[in-house]
Amino acid sequence: MKKHLFAIATLALAGNVWSQRKIEYVEYDLPNGIHVILHEEHATPIVAVSIMYHVGSKNEIPTRTGFAHFFEHLLFEGSTNIGRGEYSELVEKNGGALNANTSQDRTYYYELLPSNQLELGLWLESERLLHAKVDNTGVETQRQVVKEEKRQRVDNQPYASFLTEMFARMYQKHPYKWQPIGSMEHLDAAQEEDYINFYRTFYVPSNSVLSIAGDINIEQTKKWISTYYGSIPAGQAINLFRDFENQSDENFLKTYGVAKTKFDSKNFLGSKDVEAQKLIKKYSAMPTVIPRPERNEPPFKGVVIDTVYDNIELPAVFIGYRLPEQTNPDAYALDMLNTVLSGGTSSRMNKNIVEKKQLAMAAFSFAFPLEDPGLGLVAAIGAANVDLITLQNALDEEVKAVQDALISQEEFEKLRNVKENDIISAYSSVAGIAENLAQNYMYMGSTALINSELPKYMAVTREDIQRVAKKYFTTENRVILYYLPKPKN
Amino acid sequence: MKKIILSGALILIAAASFGQLDRSVRPKAGTPPTINIKDSEVFTTENGITVILSENHKLPKVSIQLVTGSDPMNEGPKAGLSKMAGQLIMSGTSTRTKDKLDSEVDYIGATLSADGESMYLSCLTKHVEKGLLLMTDVLFNANFPDSEFERIKKQNESALLSAKSSPDEMSDNAERKANFPNGHPYGEIMTEATLEAINKVDVESYFKKVFTPSGSYLVIVGDVNKVQATELVNKYFSSWKGGPVYKAELGEGQLNKGNRVIFVKKPGAVQSKVTVTFPVKMKPGQPNQLPLTVTNGILGGGGFGTRLMQNLREDKAYTYGCYSGIETTDNGSWFSASGNFRNDVTDSAIVQILKELDEIGSSYVKESEINLTKSAMAGGFARSLENPQTIARFALNIIQNNLPKDYYQTYLKRLDAINTENVLEMAQTYFTSKNCNIIVVGNEEIIEKLKVFDADGKIEMFDAFGNVAKEIKPADITKEQLIEKYILANTGTTSMKAAKKVISKVKSVKQVMEMSAQQIPAPLTMTTYFVAPNKEAMKIEMQGMMIQKEYFDGTAGASSNMQSGKKDLTAEEIASKQKSAGLFPELNYATSGLNIELVGIEEVNDTEAYLLKIMDGDKRSFDYYDTKTFMKIKSVSIQKEGDEVIEASRSFSDFKIINGLQFPHKMTLMMGELGLEGKVITIEINGKVDETTFN
Repeated sequence: MKKHLFAIATLALAGNVWSQRKIEYVEYDLPNGIHVILHEEHATPIVAVSIMYHVGSKNEIPTRTGFAHFFEHLLFEGSTNIGRGEYSELVEKNGGALNANTSQDRTYYYELLPSNQLELGLWLESERLLHAKVDNTGVETQRQVVKEEKRQRVDNQPYASFLTEMFARMYQKHPYKWQPIGSMEHLDAAQEEDYINFYRTFYVPSNSVLSIAGDINIEQTKKWISTYYGSIPAGQAINLFRDFENQSDENFLKTYGVAKTKFDSKNFLGSKDVEAQKLIKKYSAMPTVIPRPERNEPPFKGVVIDTVYDNIELPAVFIGYRLPEQTNPDAYALDMLNTVLSGGTSSRMNKNIVEKKQLAMAAFSFAFPLEDPGLGLVAAIGAANVDLITLQNALDEEVKAVQDALISQEEFEKLRNVKENDIISAYSSVAGIAENLAQNYMYMGSTALINSELPKYMAVTREDIQRVAKKYFTTENRVILYYLPKPKN
Repeated sequence: MKKIILSGALILIAAASFGQLDRSVRPKAGTPPTINIKDSEVFTTENGITVILSENHKLPKVSIQLVTGSDPMNEGPKAGLSKMAGQLIMSGTSTRTKDKLDSEVDYIGATLSADGESMYLSCLTKHVEKGLLLMTDVLFNANFPDSEFERIKKQNESALLSAKSSPDEMSDNAERKANFPNGHPYGEIMTEATLEAINKVDVESYFKKVFTPSGSYLVIVGDVNKVQATELVNKYFSSWKGGPVYKAELGEGQLNKGNRVIFVKKPGAVQSKVTVTFPVKMKPGQPNQLPLTVTNGILGGGGFGTRLMQNLREDKAYTYGCYSGIETTDNGSWFSASGNFRNDVTDSAIVQILKELDEIGSSYVKESEINLTKSAMAGGFARSLENPQTIARFALNIIQNNLPKDYYQTYLKRLDAINTENVLEMAQTYFTSKNCNIIVVGNEEIIEKLKVFDADGKIEMFDAFGNVAKEIKPADITKEQLIEKYILANTGTTSMKAAKKVISKVKSVKQVMEMSAQQIPAPLTMTTYFVAPNKEAMKIEMQGMMIQKEYFDGTAGASSNMQSGKKDLTAEEIASKQKSAGLFPELNYATSGLNIELVGIEEVNDTEAYLLKIMDGDKRSFDYYDTKTFMKIKSVSIQKEGDEVIEASRSFSDFKIINGLQFPHKMTLMMGELGLEGKVITIEINGKVDETTFN
């Protein structure tokens, strides 16, 4: 009898059931427009405090590219209450870790702290939002850092220009035609005022999602959020406050017609003066308009072929296809298609092109999931003495094979196992959960989607994979870039 | 109703108070959280396994770690056996080849790995049966194929070669020998001789002896309950049989009577690696362990704020970094503080390290110091808990070391309670500046200045593996005689006139060599060219791709590589090349203006060799000539490029005569961590060399 019980218990383990853990959360808007998402879990006494700003390189103007990424650097310079260089120090000294990153669509900042330092994390991020140091000293320092980063990560890396070259040809109108790293000339040409304007436009409450995950008490956290973020002025009043802090008495009076002395510097929003109150009310009601690019890019038609000469020894071919926006239901099947083609050493492209035919040093296929229609890449770096047409044909053959025939049942099973493992492991850290929650709210319009990712992947069929391969990877509409070694003198 | 009014009032208060928020006030930390580590379930099996189950249903994943219960064994003449056995366990089983094993593990998205004392599996809960099937296949049927045994042995040979030029490894080896003399396993270090002595049977019997159910631990963490875990353990591990667990009383390290200076020679070094170390009477989980860790944290346990960093880096600028640490184990524990220091401040750095060891035990540390260390430790501890492996390690530590069940639950509270008085007591109890092993790996030019630190004024010389180094014997010939004998031996002649005639007939040499290393995926092809009288060139390719290229045409030259492009040689580099140009640069030593010194006779891999030291500005070369054959068997060059010191060591063997000249057909090149084994494919004499080679 006892034996039986055990058998049933292990049967439950082995059954082919997939279970994504449900991520619980609460979310609400503050009156000033900050969207707050809180996920409480006490497994580990740590907390991830993050803010995602809905600004990326696609919000830049064509003569000032690289700004969004530049701000990611600049906003570590300090604030009215945090000295230069002190931001990271405060986090580290209190047992935490921090970082940030920028994409075409958003900029993301986070701290990972012991949970008894939650209030510190909230204060730090609120300082960054309310009144970061945006001045020439910081701009100068970070310009050098960013240039160094570009040299190291783009200019000095063989083939690394393919992103710039591919996106530039894939898009005619949409700002995806430039990369987040942007142009160093634009950064050099920009004046302090350009930087200040960027901060005033995009770093405002209504453009931010505050996402907190970890060992928190929701009620206490709400109170602190109300203290540190509720006190951030709404609408254009935030910029009124920034001017109040940064402008001289004379300039402020000139701009607003009210003297700075009328305001209460300790309690700005609670300034007793009638004129001050009126001004605050007026500016609070004035919304900040965030410039967002139109989705006006026409479908990609025809074939564009070009050659790039780079500091490389082996030629390469990069083939770009237009893919749908990441909210499109086809995104899941496309992601699985990429795994079939080039996920791991046993993938088709690696097995066939690299190992069997030995035509390439490396071959890969991947997508750039973006808020607006993005692109997919199929590419290979040739082995010695392999011509690019042979290489291109080999890549096309692999794509054609997925289009012509369903993938095998065994391959499909492995694919599902790999995806399942990936997705489940992605939610093992509170930092990952905080970012995913914010991302789902910001792009997908629904935080709840975090709990349906795995079923969506598991709903993809072999037929879906074949269908999206046919639909998006068409030889009639694509960009082909040949990479050749620069002629030597 | 009353409740609603109250909370309304609270909101009003809150609203009023956030207006007053003073943003310049930094929030203070809340009370340290207690840790929610659930108690682990512990049960034993009939065949002697202690199972520790730490349920965690956060994710549908399980990890299963098998930790054997053996104490470290004396390996004596086969030192390094446990390490090598560990590297071989995943090499395949009697039912699955290595490739099959790897691909089956991949199919279920699992991780399966092993070392000399343990095995580890991690996978989704639903694949746990398949995962355990693979894990136990390895455990019961690992078959150590010959090909893998040879591959791993070769890998270790390279690692030993690389150790000989690594100050860190040489220092570690000396440290273990010094703190654990008299046959303690911690003091046993793998050398070329002990590696050679290890055979497949040793590995098999080691595996059989150590991987036995008796006394072992199975740590299960994750998404299984006790019923399921019990069933899994019964199903997969009940048939596991083995001998009794190996237990030994190993004692602990031995404290010196006075300070003892140990020197390991690193010819030409521009900086010294200094380690001040001594054994500490401490076992994991003893009440004093945590306060001692805090004390070490303040002294030099990491970050910029510690005393060693503030003193030696920020204040004196002797070094880029100086850190201290305490290694605590059941079989002996030790303290060590170390850093790399410029030659001329090596002795001053030792003075300061010893001074800091004294000072922390002579007065209270500052509140700000203890607070910084405690906060950093608390944060690091808390963040580490997100990884399920940390929880597994805690559960195991509690059982293995007999710690209270809530040892880690109360960690942060105990940490918070530590005060400056505790720190002073710890420093006085455990630290010493008078019974240390002071290990210096460096340039022997500084050796005189270190005598003051040794209690009896006699410095002990160790080799790279912590054994007493053989002394250099004085040379029995002059440097001029050595060069002549070398030239005669290489040309197979009896007079310099005849030798020069043979050499003059060589108009060009093209040598193609295949170089392979563990770290690189495909072999490299290195082609070197010589065109009389003084042109030379070299290129390195991987599968047809040019990695690096260099040439010198007698008056000018350049080097280029994939990443940085082409760089012309500077005037200095040209001058240096000119001094050592020619097929036998030794012929020009007398007139080239190089500073040459015959140091003496030293052993190179059990062969006696004359050591010739060549100095050219900042550049140093150390050439070793076999005392019997007069062949050049090794050459080490050390060069400064900016702040970086580049060291390359080449060993030559398998000499064969071509056109009357001796050419080595095997070469080992060591650069930092990278070790390359080269063998000659072709040597072509007086063939045509394409002129484009030299531009």
